[in-house]
Amino acid sequence: MIVGNYLVAAGIFALGLYTVLTRRNIVKIVMGLSLMEASGYLLLLSMAYRARSTAPVLLDPPHGETTTQLAHGSVADPMLQNICLTAIVIGVAITGVFLAIVVRLVQHYRSVDADDIRALRG
Amino acid sequence: MTTSLHACEPHHHRWAGAVIAGAIGAILVVVALGLPREHAPLPAIARRAMLGALPDWHTTEPVNAIVYGYRGFDTFGETFILLAAVVGIGLLTRRKESRSGFLGEDLAHDAEQRRVHVGEHGVTLSEREALEAEAHEVGEGRDVWPLLPDAESVGTPGPERAEAMTVIVRAGIRVVAPILTVAGLYLVAWGYSPGGGFPGGAVALGVILLMYLSVGYRRLRRAVRPEVMEPIELAGALAIAALVVAGLLFAGSVTANFLPLGPPETIRSGGILQLFSVSELLEVGTGLTLAAFGLLTMGHEWSAVDPE
Repeated sequence: MIVGNYLVAAGIFALGLYTVLTRRNIVKIVMGLSLMEASGYLLLLSMAYRARSTAPVLLDPPHGETTTQLAHGSVADPMLQNICLTAIVIGVAITGVFLAIVVRLVQHYRSVDADDIRALRG
Repeated sequence: MTTSLHACEPHHHRWAGAVIAGAIGAILVVVALGLPREHAPLPAIARRAMLGALPDWHTTEPVNAIVYGYRGFDTFGETFILLAAVVGIGLLTRRKESRSGFLGEDLAHDAEQRRVHVGEHGVTLSEREALEAEAHEVGEGRDVWPLLPDAESVGTPGPERAEAMTVIVRAGIRVVAPILTVAGLYLVAWGYSPGGGFPGGAVALGVILLMYLSVGYRRLRRAVRPEVMEPIELAGALAIAALVVAGLLFAGSVTANFLPLGPPETIRSGGILQLFSVSELLEVGTGLTLAAFGLLTMGHEWSAVDPE
């Protein structure tokens, strides 16, 4: 039942959001954001799944099917796999930027507590 | 650190956070229950890609045909998001340039701080010496660490200070790294890996990190320095931009194929797909390496004495 994957993805997203909202350690806030990203990957790949499907590869289709049969039969959705690929690359890049900002913040304020970082307060 | 992280980790508004996260989670659950499941037919757009990959692009990888062909413009944009992120990481992680002329605040600040700390706050001379010794250890002391751990006998107490790992790990990685490199490049060049240059670039980063782990940064420093990596990355990005524009000029639409298609399962199959994929490999591999080493080699740029 693939709907279980959908529910787990929703749960992981909520867990990540809870981490971002309630934690004060900025490293853990970044971890919460990564968790929210990961829930997106799980959802996209689960939505690409089809029952008794094969990978979207046209090289040597299983059971002697032709490629046309493969496209009309059960094969995982290549479009969603592409979108997940895009999401992973962007996620890695954004996490890198976040971590660089965190290191600089910690070096400047000498604390990982988000409550200590309030120089913009009037 | 001003806060003890282990004793009792501080939280913000636990209940408000739980209510908001729970409400959004509940909305997502309701939406997820309405999504198409595993018995739904493939969307028309996915079937189009499955049926078109061989006749349109002569490739056996529909995912590649989508990433670099049908949705090439999207990948083009994604490439430049990645480039922007790598530039951002470079900007944040690079050392402060030494300033001169009117911009010498950091030097003036250090001198003033030293005076203030000895005079007004009662930091004794011995404390100052300790702080300076610590600063020395953090900064310059690094170069006296041994490069290889082989000289130290096994079971020596204290933290291991060598940069490289033992001969067992080094020998293992020396065997694995060339195989991984060739396998990654082969999959990208022949178009067999779904996503082409993206997983290929990740494999390249993996190999470089394995080398970093086994031989240490000092031996790898010359190869991964930004002066080497940045031109390669920008060449990859430039090649992608050129391919996109060339499609517009020669074939009438952005990222359209303008090259002759070779037979499937060869290095020439796929037309511009392979070129796009290899350019992406250069861009992603060097970009991720720059980002990883930017973070790994970030300097300590705080003053030795806490200004508070």
